[in-house]
Amino acid sequence: MNSVGEACTDLKREYDQCFNRWFAEKFLKGDRSGDPCTETFRKYQGCVQKAIREKDIPIDGVDFMGPNKDKPET
Amino acid sequence: MKIWSTEHVFSYPWETVIKAAMRKYPNPMNTNVVGVDVLDRSLDTQGRLHSHRLLSTEWGLPGIVRAILGTTHTQTYVKEHSIVDPEEKKMELCSTNITLTNLISVDERLLYRPHPDNPEVNHILPPSLLSTVLTQEAIITVKGFYSDNCFPRYTSHTTGGFSESRILCSRKKHSVVLAESLPQQPVLSEAPQLGAHLAQAD
Repeated sequence: MNSVGEACTDLKREYDQCFNRWFAEKFLKGDRSGDPCTETFRKYQGCVQKAIREKDIPIDGVDFMGPNKDKPET
Repeated sequence: MKIWSTEHVFSYPWETVIKAAMRKYPNPMNTNVVGVDVLDRSLDTQGRLHSHRLLSTEWGLPGIVRAILGTTHTQTYVKEHSIVDPEEKKMELCSTNITLTNLISVDERLLYRPHPDNPEVNHILPPSLLSTVLTQEAIITVKGFYSDNCFPRYTSHTTGGFSESRILCSRKKHSVVLAESLPQQPVLSEAPQLGAHLAQAD
């Protein structure tokens, strides 16, 4: 599956693989240990935000903060 | 405004269905979705996972329709919020279109829960005997110029598991052409979309 930003697809796939593994093997089994995908998500998010701005997609009211709730770099 | 709802039982445990639902795209039963991105993901204080996603959809609107709509864009976008509660075994997903909103609103809600006939947790049964219930609802509103004489009319004949929705406007000839060119399946049944993934989820 592609990203909305063509340049972000590889970063998206890397994040999805990490997330799907954590989701199935940890989260659904009640393991609340740390999220191993934070860094991957941060890189992916930076790319997606840029694509959303460039394509002028009307996202309102959605926080663009990653799992650690750190503000994105501008 | 029209409300459409359906219920489906999957013969798989809740966890298996949820894993498949999170990886639903790409999906051969819904090739209109061409892009999916996670905008935000976090755990709340109750340990529930919230995900906000952006879906890009390509409906292939004819050129004349795009001209009438006054748009050169061929892609439309949907915003989705899901909440997975592994303690309560509940996944809820709400989505709404964020483009073409002057023309139509498609608000969809999905709820996945273990089947009420499943035994209690402390009775251990093989996964093959556990089921999951999906409730899918959609509220579709046609707006603006067409709203007075437009009535969403839903035929629920299932061809290969799809439920078709047709939005018909009876006011003027060009209105009819426009309305029938709109996504004729603004809400696809979830069941066939998950079918391909369920066998691979575990």
